[in-house]
Amino acid sequence: MKGYRKYFGKKILWFVITLVVAVILNFTLPRLMPADPVAAITGKMAQGMTDASAVQEIYKRYEEEFGTNKPMLEQFFIFVKNMLKGDLGTSFSQYPRKVSDIISSAIWWTVALQLPAIIVGWLLGNLLGALAAYIRKGFDKVLLPLSLFLSNVPAFGMAVVMLVLFAVKFKIAPIGGGYAFDMIPNFSWNFVKSVITHYQLPFWSIVMVSIGGQAIGMRSMSIYELNADYVKYARFLGIKDRKIVGYVFRNAMLPQVTGLALSIGTMIGGALVAEIIFSYPGLGSTMYTAVTAADYPLISATTLIITFMVLIVTLLLDIVYGFIDPRVKAAQFD
Amino acid sequence: MKNTLRQIFHSPKFMTGFVIFVVILLTLFFYPLFNPGNPLEMIGVGTFAKPGTYVSLYDALNTSRETLRLSDADDNRLAKQLKAEDRVAMLEWFNAMGIAVDFDISDTDALLKLWDDNYDPATKPKGMTMAKRNYYKRLNNALLQLKAADEIVLADVNAETKALEETGKVNKTDYVNVGQVANVKLLPLGTDNFGRDVLKELVSATGTSIIIGLIAGAVATIIGLTFGLLAGYLGGIADDLIMFITNVFTVIPGFVLLILISYSIGQDQRGASVVALVIGLTSWTWTARSVRSQVISLRNRDHVNLSKLSGHSLFRIIMTDILPYIASYVVMAFILQVSSGILSEAQLSLLGLGPKTTEVPTLGLMMNWAMLYSAHTNGSWWAYFPVILTITLISFSLNLMNTGLDQVFNPTLRD
Amino acid sequence: MAKTMLEVNNLTTKYVTRFHEDVYAVDHVSLKIEEGKSLGIAGESGCGKSTLALSLMGYYFAPLHYMSGEIIIDGKNISGMDPDTVRKNVLGTEIAYIPQAAMNALNPTIRISKFVEDVIRAHDPKADKKTIQEMAKARFAELGLPVEALNRHAVELSGGMKQRVVIAISTILNPKVLIADEPSSALDVTSQKMVIKMLRDMMEKGYIKAMIFITHELPLLYNVTDDIMVMYAGQIVERGSANEMVFDPIHPYSRGLINSILVPEEGTRTNKLTAIPGTPPNLKKPPQGCRFAERCKYATLQCRVNAMPMIDFDGNRSYRCGHSVEHLREVYGHEE
Repeated sequence: MKGYRKYFGKKILWFVITLVVAVILNFTLPRLMPADPVAAITGKMAQGMTDASAVQEIYKRYEEEFGTNKPMLEQFFIFVKNMLKGDLGTSFSQYPRKVSDIISSAIWWTVALQLPAIIVGWLLGNLLGALAAYIRKGFDKVLLPLSLFLSNVPAFGMAVVMLVLFAVKFKIAPIGGGYAFDMIPNFSWNFVKSVITHYQLPFWSIVMVSIGGQAIGMRSMSIYELNADYVKYARFLGIKDRKIVGYVFRNAMLPQVTGLALSIGTMIGGALVAEIIFSYPGLGSTMYTAVTAADYPLISATTLIITFMVLIVTLLLDIVYGFIDPRVKAAQFD
Repeated sequence: MKNTLRQIFHSPKFMTGFVIFVVILLTLFFYPLFNPGNPLEMIGVGTFAKPGTYVSLYDALNTSRETLRLSDADDNRLAKQLKAEDRVAMLEWFNAMGIAVDFDISDTDALLKLWDDNYDPATKPKGMTMAKRNYYKRLNNALLQLKAADEIVLADVNAETKALEETGKVNKTDYVNVGQVANVKLLPLGTDNFGRDVLKELVSATGTSIIIGLIAGAVATIIGLTFGLLAGYLGGIADDLIMFITNVFTVIPGFVLLILISYSIGQDQRGASVVALVIGLTSWTWTARSVRSQVISLRNRDHVNLSKLSGHSLFRIIMTDILPYIASYVVMAFILQVSSGILSEAQLSLLGLGPKTTEVPTLGLMMNWAMLYSAHTNGSWWAYFPVILTITLISFSLNLMNTGLDQVFNPTLRD
Repeated sequence: MAKTMLEVNNLTTKYVTRFHEDVYAVDHVSLKIEEGKSLGIAGESGCGKSTLALSLMGYYFAPLHYMSGEIIIDGKNISGMDPDTVRKNVLGTEIAYIPQAAMNALNPTIRISKFVEDVIRAHDPKADKKTIQEMAKARFAELGLPVEALNRHAVELSGGMKQRVVIAISTILNPKVLIADEPSSALDVTSQKMVIKMLRDMMEKGYIKAMIFITHELPLLYNVTDDIMVMYAGQIVERGSANEMVFDPIHPYSRGLINSILVPEEGTRTNKLTAIPGTPPNLKKPPQGCRFAERCKYATLQCRVNAMPMIDFDGNRSYRCGHSVEHLREVYGHEE
């Protein structure tokens, strides 16, 4: 148990440290740049205005709103204090909506889309990879190049191809959005049905993209494990091949959990961009609208929330891994 | 060394990737020789012209004609002019009239024959609106005209009288040789939303994207390599410090930093090379990690110890006793970084945070433009599909090369 | 006369490499072990001794392939049997194996007790869990292993403990013949002694009836086994009792092996310490004549041309060389 406590303690400590660093970066990076964001925003807002004092007024107002007229350190503490209260500022493009408000409605779409999609992609990919490693001849020859090719299709590319094929060409799926555009979110059966039909394409496009990479990783892990000494030994003890294959796939799959933890950031990045293609009402699309509208508070909040999500998922995966792989416990005794 | 090279070039995976990549590079080099000019030049006024050969109508009229009597010319003309929606509408009319259609509506001959035999402008099928009936009348007239007129009269304004004067006629049987028309433009991939030649733009964009990938890969590899070497070889506090930074930046998603930095830089400052640099700056962590673990396994080898005892400098030990042993590894890491750099640029551009749009096209920008102008929903596949395919092929070829190298240098993975 | 536990006649197996080349790593090997006896097999790495260990199991999977010859265990010929019968009725019960790298021989992610269960169930699918656990505990206790080890994962055990656990698992079904492939080579001296003591105990207590012990350290065998065979390039080159092989090696290669290794035995200290020059031949294209000829300082033209048979001498010894025993003894005598 001591080993576990040490392991989890270490993981949680890392989580806190990275979170702090992420918050600091999120705060400082935009402020490090030579350009004055308030001036830029004022410029946008005051387009066409000729009255210098009115422009000055707008500038002052935004300076107040951001607190950029205060010293850097004080700004940071205000930022952290507000963040802890759940206040992430006010959106520019959707004024006077609160950023936290916009994000809390988008985040569930993203979580509900990406989490299942990544898990299903991971499972299917591992299954295919294991099959490829086990069957090898022929099957492997077709599946491997195909997986390699698939894993190299960018997430947004897969999204566009699937959209064009299934929504535009065959018209068996809606063209985008999270639900039919003429509906208002509620808990009626019709709405749920609409959500489910709109869910299919984004979901499967993310699944398709993650399958390839996972399958390749699983295949080489499995081949590595199939050649391990314990496989030979188990065979010479008369244990059935089917049982040994069970050992191998379990052992090959466990490191894949860590692999998922390491790649989750990249995967979510790709999937967020795929959201834009489907105009899915999640964080990806929010970020896109924020970027196009130069809505600085919203961009900052989305990146922060995405970082937070990635950190949480990574931490959870690490904890799960610690429980399911005894090798971790042993490593902590060293 | 020679043997390793031979093994590499005998690896089918490496060779497949290598050939694809070289073909792409050769295209980048040779295509502009045949089709020179600014890739961002807007040659078309409308948007999304279909791929094909464009013949100047003006020049065609002034080209000497030959008369060709082709028996299927009328049919072809009709088949081409009769649009799919017209055919469906005709089918609807037959259905409304209760006339059985026992052939496929793509069969122009049968369809027109049935139409001629049955259509009467006076009939009023049940439940059909006035507007719809008028549509059928117009359709019928167009069909009649198409069949009747044998020639088109060409007219010009007389300079003195300001009246139209007939200057010539074009017969249905008049043909010109495409080779003799002064202006014929081949647009194999049509034009994009701005009326640019997509193929020309694509070639130029691929070049830029590969350069972005190379710069990003080089930056990431150099930083990762330096950190990895120092952390792995020095150990101790240097290792702890570097690994602390590396671990933090491994968990914080690179693309989040990428978005923050790109946004902070601002559109005007974001040239292609700046974007490449930023991508490189945010993606070095796993190179650092893996180089470090390789160096640690090398650190206590005899030849390194011998070099240390001989009093060689840190720089020399790293250059002669460590780098050559991890060189293959670094090359593989670099290849992967290039491929992910190209992808990062594309994703950034799709978010609207790519390089500024006025200078050079990149694959990501082309994708962004195509999406902004809804190429995917209006059927203009040529504006986005070649871009996706190119990104996929580049990344596929680089990854294949990497896998091939991996199999040569890591025998445990061998089949 | 004692019962023959293991008899191998002209066993030939091959490896198929990644480049589809055949490597005949075990070439017409014959041997015989009687009940209660142990046989040591020595040779340089790459001489085919580990392949021989795998081949003796009678259970072949890629890249190893059976070519010809027979393996008879306690009167039962297993070489013609179908693989699944061998798996179920021979492996673990008639003949068992201790791998070279016991460090990695145990599945890292399951507990030892679960693995023992899988082993026993593979031969008796109906075996009930509790009985198996009792049996395993009893056996671990008898062999002086801590019973708690059963509840551990392999990664939690030390190297020496892992090796002894592997030996306990290999012999849990009381196999008649045990094949140990370098079971002690990777261990420290203390663990090495414990492993060897354990193997001896098992012979004495009758858990196993005969043993083959494979190692690259010929002198080690002097303390462990009754007889010794020396292998070179896929063939047996000499066989005799442990005493004879260490103090009176006849084949130039056996002699080279003894002389190239520091032997802490009386009478060997005066010998000059010399390494055997050269490397073993490429088994993808074995030489036509004596396989050792290339490296043998006594080799004649005929040695390089004529294939050598095994020749018996001194009653129970045999060797494979073109020179007569008398000639070799005389030459060796002059050298000293």
